[in-house]
Amino acid sequence: MALGIEKTFQVSQPIEKVWALLSDPEKVASCVPGARITEKVDDKTYKGSITVKVGPSLTDYKGEVQILRLDAQKHEIEIQGKGQDVRGRGSASMTMTGKLAALNGGATQVTSISEINVVGILAQMGSRVISEVSNIMFDKFSQNFQALLEPSADQPVLASSAVKPPQPIEPGSIAWQAVKQLFGRWLQAMKHLFAGGKA
Amino acid sequence: MPQTTPEVGGMGHSIKRKEDLRFIQGKGNYVDDVHLPDMVYGQLVRSPYAHARLKGINTEKARALPGVLAVITGTDLAKANLAWMPTLYFDKQMVLATGKVLFQSQEVAFVVAEDRYTAADAAELVEVDYEELPVLVDPHKATDPGSPILREDREEKSNHIFHWEVGDKSATQRAFQDAAVKVNLQAVFQRCHPAPLETCGCVADFNRATGRLTIYLTSQAPHAHRTLFALVGGIAENNIRVISPDIGGGFGNKVPIYPGYVCAVVASLTLGRPVKWVETRSENLQSTGFARDYHMTAELAADRDGKIQALRVKTLADHGAFNAAAQPTKFPAGLFSICTGAYDYPNAFCEVDGVYTNKAPGGIAYRCSFRVTEAAYLIERAVDVLALELKTDPVELRKKNFIRPEKFPYQSPLGWSFDSGNYQAAMDLALEKVGYEQLRKEQEEKRRKGELMGIGVSSFVEIVGAGPAHSFDIAGIKMFDSAEIRVHPTGKAICRMGTKSQGQGHETTYAQIVAQELGIPAADVTVEEGDTDTAPYGLGTYASRSTPVSGAATAVAARKIRDKAKKIAAHLLECSEEDLEWEPGKFFVKGAPSKSKTIQDIAFAAYTNIPEGLEAGLEAVDYYDPPNLTFPFGTYICVVDIDKGTGEVKVRRFVAVDDCGNVINPMIVDGQIHGGLTEGLAIAFMQQIGYDENGNVQGGSFMDYLLPTAVETPHWDTDKTCTPSPHHPLGAKGVGESPNVGSPAAFVNAVVDALSHLGVRHIDMPIAPWKVWTILKEKGVVS
Amino acid sequence: MAKKQLVGVKVNGRERQAEVEPRLLLVHFIREVLGLTGTHVGCDTSHCGACTVVLDGKTVKSCTMFAPQADGCELLTVEGLMQDGQLHPLQEGFREEHGLQCGFCTPGMLMSSYVLLQKNKKPSEEDIRWGISGNLCRCTGYQNIVKAVQFAAARMEQGGVK
Repeated sequence: MALGIEKTFQVSQPIEKVWALLSDPEKVASCVPGARITEKVDDKTYKGSITVKVGPSLTDYKGEVQILRLDAQKHEIEIQGKGQDVRGRGSASMTMTGKLAALNGGATQVTSISEINVVGILAQMGSRVISEVSNIMFDKFSQNFQALLEPSADQPVLASSAVKPPQPIEPGSIAWQAVKQLFGRWLQAMKHLFAGGKA
Repeated sequence: MPQTTPEVGGMGHSIKRKEDLRFIQGKGNYVDDVHLPDMVYGQLVRSPYAHARLKGINTEKARALPGVLAVITGTDLAKANLAWMPTLYFDKQMVLATGKVLFQSQEVAFVVAEDRYTAADAAELVEVDYEELPVLVDPHKATDPGSPILREDREEKSNHIFHWEVGDKSATQRAFQDAAVKVNLQAVFQRCHPAPLETCGCVADFNRATGRLTIYLTSQAPHAHRTLFALVGGIAENNIRVISPDIGGGFGNKVPIYPGYVCAVVASLTLGRPVKWVETRSENLQSTGFARDYHMTAELAADRDGKIQALRVKTLADHGAFNAAAQPTKFPAGLFSICTGAYDYPNAFCEVDGVYTNKAPGGIAYRCSFRVTEAAYLIERAVDVLALELKTDPVELRKKNFIRPEKFPYQSPLGWSFDSGNYQAAMDLALEKVGYEQLRKEQEEKRRKGELMGIGVSSFVEIVGAGPAHSFDIAGIKMFDSAEIRVHPTGKAICRMGTKSQGQGHETTYAQIVAQELGIPAADVTVEEGDTDTAPYGLGTYASRSTPVSGAATAVAARKIRDKAKKIAAHLLECSEEDLEWEPGKFFVKGAPSKSKTIQDIAFAAYTNIPEGLEAGLEAVDYYDPPNLTFPFGTYICVVDIDKGTGEVKVRRFVAVDDCGNVINPMIVDGQIHGGLTEGLAIAFMQQIGYDENGNVQGGSFMDYLLPTAVETPHWDTDKTCTPSPHHPLGAKGVGESPNVGSPAAFVNAVVDALSHLGVRHIDMPIAPWKVWTILKEKGVVS
Repeated sequence: MAKKQLVGVKVNGRERQAEVEPRLLLVHFIREVLGLTGTHVGCDTSHCGACTVVLDGKTVKSCTMFAPQADGCELLTVEGLMQDGQLHPLQEGFREEHGLQCGFCTPGMLMSSYVLLQKNKKPSEEDIRWGISGNLCRCTGYQNIVKAVQFAAARMEQGGVK
């Protein structure tokens, strides 16, 4: 099942500084919840893993990340990640394009366009759950990314955060958040329907 | 047929069911209720991939878990030549995967543990290494040069399984060339699943002390299963006992032999302990026998008056990864050639191609009567399309083309001999009950106001009661069926049949046949099925065959008993047999009715006062080879209203007139109709087992595979006409699947009829609200 | 593996107790520990209602509860419907009106109908259909089940049976 996701967020840091972070796979990996780079094969290829927990269902993907394109002038990076669940529960692959744009006042806009493909047990839950989980993971990623960019991140603590043990999202929280978000939208739609009816 | 009193309860009486007593007290005995000393539990590990090479399985962690007794893989089974097993249709299927996996949820390993929770824990610990392969889910691409070849085990490296043709191709072609009017319909009968409320399972109990293997099995065909276990497992058939206890619904889902059964048997043989394996609902939906998945094209040729001249059908059948369609061997597409329907015309040609895809195996299930559901749906939809083309009323078009009663037995252009029928009468009754004329007027008015209302008609012909030995066998076993009746000294009786009820009420209906033929009250007749040690050999219950075949055997066996009873009566009354007359329950001397002996007197005498030359006892057995199939039929009329805002279709009224010949128990027949119509409703509006482009199952649990509740289900208005079968001893035809055969077309015809003034000709099922709403948007009815 | 817990329940009027794993589902506790197999398992997503029992007067899908959650509660299963060897009017109704075929959904249907009739002594057809909408049936099409509940309601009104 293929899913397309486009996300944008802003950071109050100049574009070159943001680029320095975005073009460093190991630093980027440290921002993705549950992910880590385990080996650098060559300049363009890395081995890594990510743990995703959806409710009680835990999936450990192990795979490869490749940098397909790195354009320092346009501030664009294109990567491809492929992983298989170590227990044989399924697989996932993702291509992501990250773009930066300079904003007024020395800020930067970060845009990511990804296509995710999930095969296996998780895919049976349907695109609704997958997209909610992806949203939550991306929100956490952007939080971590921004935190790394804050002035305090200029210190060597950057190095230590790269070796922080990967924290998968909390057991219940992804599923619960996904459900809350799904319900939230449904509730909103219901409110809208009833409000409209009263008119 | 003589009438019996309600106390005796023969044919035609709606006596209350004898089996209910245990079910209403929660004392049924289903497979999962079986609890044996020392019993252990099995669980399957299944593939998450639709197509992948199996690189390795690591069972170390699983085996190390306390409480785990064994972890079996395909490699283990291969040592005993059991990694593959034959299907019921000239193919083989993997029991546990070796080499590669071919559908998501395919069985890969079997874990056995002391309790079911430990088994589940251990299954999570099995590590499987896969290499993903390209996936094939579109049957139309199966024979494309670029598509992956799925079955490396087959000699011919192709995804094409079979090509089957029937009918006169050139005559049909000529008829099309000459025809004034031609229509073409492409209709997909979507993959769905019967989902009986009880899932499949077994308790395999190999007793080392006696050398006997007892299998408690959710089986609709216990004897056939016993024979197959013997042949495939190399165990002596007299040492296997299959017991189908109470079954919580079958609908065809419990006809195949599943890998879980084989694994449980192997585990029990190995461990010498009873092994229970019961699947979860998700496993049931994702891996057990699905239904339909027929991609069909029908062409009808007619003259300008609407007289049909020819039918041409081409079908692509998606069989999944293995050909496990459970049907008689001479019919790779089942009885699909009944697709000519209730109409009289000389020319027809039908071809079916079966292909493999990366999906679960199956195809024959969900009350399909061996693909009759697909056939009836196709012709009834095509006739409506023809009616639109001719701008004629669909009822008038049908009436014009119905096979007339005097034409029976009718030779269909695709080779069937319909035993009897009066399609006109069923149609007339349905029209009257539903108030057709008034409804059409109402529809006209509503259309002027922009409201959407539709009337759908389906006049179906069924073909059941497989089947005569000259053409019918399953895996080589001929499709006779059997009944054994024994009368006790005090006039009560016990009978056993080769069929197996999964809710159809056999404990009551067979007793009623005996009551009819012998006058012994149905309450005094015990009926048993399902234990292969005691019941006579039969092919089981599916395809509505119990009444036509085993019901006939019961009547014939009872008549054999009556013949002997007559001799005993003559002996007791000291007269000759020619002087005796029979009425249900007694023989009496012609002209002297007070000189009589009841069947109870006779039964007592059979043990205490046996005439010279006769053996003691009063019993008989009959193995019945039906001379032909039977052809139930009916007309269903459905009235729908569509909500323009949401696209939701509400079934306002549904009239079902069924003709299944002489009826044993009208109450039970009505119950069957209610249930089948509800399944038809589900198929038409709610159900699909879908697959995405990666082969991920999209209808894998009740979250996505929908079953109607009491709220969605409308009231069913049922009635009957009666056109007995001339060749059946009781004139009965069988009826269990008729509602599922006839209703999908009625529902779809109604929805299309509601939208036909907008130019809509066809909508594929399931007709979910979003489909209707999208059409309304496209047509500019909603913005 | 988590430590076993003592679970005590009053089932159909009798005190029962057992030591179980905390993750043991209530339906397995009822079927396998207590040996009451009338309550059935029909799905794995809490949809089908075959596992419906009455816990402290409320219908509950016992597949979606853990046994320890029922500790100290009163449980009524289908086996407890008969009173003094007499069938409950609902059980009679199901038989009279042919409200069952394979019987697998029947215990759940009986328990849902039982609580429905406790709350609503004169349910309309719509009330009944909504009342049993948490119980799936594949065989009957629900029509005769509705009649069975109507039979029981009428009988209970006459006979003063609870």
